[in-house]
Amino acid sequence: MKRFDARITALRSVATGYRELRYEWPADLPPPSPGRFFTVRAGGRYDPVLRRPFAFSAWSPGGAGEPAEASFIFQVRGRGTRYLAELDTGDTIDVLGPLGTGFGKPRRGSRPVLVAGGIGLGPMLYLANALSIDARDGLCEAPVLALGFRTASLIPDVAMPEGTVICTDDGSAGYRGTVTGWLEGYDPGAPPYLYACGPSAMMAAVGAMAAARRAPYEAALEQWMACGVGACAGCAVRLRTGQYIKACVDGPVYDGNLVDWGAML
Amino acid sequence: MTQTDKLDLSVQIGSLTLPNPVGVASGTFGYGEEYAPLLDVNTLGALYTKAVTLEPRAGNPAPRLADTPAGMLNSIGLANPGMEAFITDKLPFLRTLGCPVIVNVAGSTEDDYALVVERLGSEDGLGGYEINISCPNVAHGGMAFGTDPALVERLVKRLVSIRDRAPGAASRRPVIVKLSPNVTDIGLIARAAEAGGADALSCINTLVGMVIDTKRKRPVLARGTGGLSGPAVLPVGVAVVYKVSRAVAIPVIGLGGISCADDALQYLLAGAVAVQVGTAIFSRPETPLEVLGGIRDFMEREGVSEVRCIRELL
Repeated sequence: MKRFDARITALRSVATGYRELRYEWPADLPPPSPGRFFTVRAGGRYDPVLRRPFAFSAWSPGGAGEPAEASFIFQVRGRGTRYLAELDTGDTIDVLGPLGTGFGKPRRGSRPVLVAGGIGLGPMLYLANALSIDARDGLCEAPVLALGFRTASLIPDVAMPEGTVICTDDGSAGYRGTVTGWLEGYDPGAPPYLYACGPSAMMAAVGAMAAARRAPYEAALEQWMACGVGACAGCAVRLRTGQYIKACVDGPVYDGNLVDWGAML
Repeated sequence: MTQTDKLDLSVQIGSLTLPNPVGVASGTFGYGEEYAPLLDVNTLGALYTKAVTLEPRAGNPAPRLADTPAGMLNSIGLANPGMEAFITDKLPFLRTLGCPVIVNVAGSTEDDYALVVERLGSEDGLGGYEINISCPNVAHGGMAFGTDPALVERLVKRLVSIRDRAPGAASRRPVIVKLSPNVTDIGLIARAAEAGGADALSCINTLVGMVIDTKRKRPVLARGTGGLSGPAVLPVGVAVVYKVSRAVAIPVIGLGGISCADDALQYLLAGAVAVQVGTAIFSRPETPLEVLGGIRDFMEREGVSEVRCIRELL
């Protein structure tokens, strides 16, 4: 973990209101594993004071004179993301990372089922690409990536693994309905190992399914953060036991079967 | 022209000497270890720990944070592992640090505070206590103590007498009382703490605030209100320190909204002997060291060789 100024190597619109930003990754930092995140100062020196957390959507090692590169996908939603959207290639961003605990490996022989809603697709894309390599090595079945969007114009123009399932609420592309609706009718053909990132209602629905199928469930949690390093306890997420974990260090990937999803709605 | 190596940056808080006036505020720096990879903790003037209570506290329901104009709201609810786990799990690391460690102590009842100060009196490696009678985010204790002068004086008197009875050097640890700005007359509370025997005061804790989500039509924070911190509160803190440092004879430590050296200098000119950097650490972890560098530059520029003399310039 360190704080560094990173040069933006690419910033492009990938869907209505969605951007993909790539930046140079320092040579002295290890590659961030899928599910880990970083925070970025999104504005001036004083305002906003809270750094914005984002999950990595890709990482490439560079080579042949090219620097390593990290990517993330964000939705332009508030003042922090508006600030980021107005930057240009060559500008620098103030990054703190890599932070948090990423995804674990699926059980041998299981089918990784990756479920994402809206902006949750970033870390899921990164994970799907990593698990495809594991599947080729025989460590698990081929992963299935299922993505839910409200409508077709929100589907990002990014490379997706073969066989990716697209769901839209209005039926303008792929399966008509929610991604969890699709999941209910899906036969994984092997014990499923669930991964998810998205809106709380979707995370809760995946949680209910995981419980019903007694499936492992790794959930990438989203919460406002202040420090990102475990110092402030601001990003608390409630467990079913009533205890709280810190999304920044205990997560953001945490056992979804233990999370009190009702408290997240 | 004053030479940097001739500058006297030390600050006296009761019997405790701080190597320099720039500390890190309670609640923003955990128990030191969390930020250790990002800045040299040893170079701090003081580390004020996250609050420690008698029993472990889970904290408030989530969400606990909200973004505000030039600031933030927090409603952590004093989440902490409790006194015994603090001693077992956190204190060993804190003891290795080269900077003074001041434990922030909170409680729901007077006995809570008393038991923590008594127990910590038998542990070495601590520089002092900061008594948190100003947390706005708990139902019992916290700010309720800090708004009643009679309660403040009685509580401080009791803690000071417990401190006095501690073995060895622990009997000389300063008792610093952290005050709430959420009162009608903070001068009254400050004088009550001084009458109780406080060695110093920290001003200010956060201001009560609320953010409402207009789409969902409900407060963003699960608990409704939280404590406002960040650059937005800077002038409030400076005004309080200006007032309190003229109302009492004991040292005042200024905090609230410090993001750069100039902000800290405002506090020192207003009458503070030292400062704490808090929320700005979230944004830029190296802020405390930059603030210290800027204070040095100011002293050289102004020909002030002792940091304690800055207040005389106003």
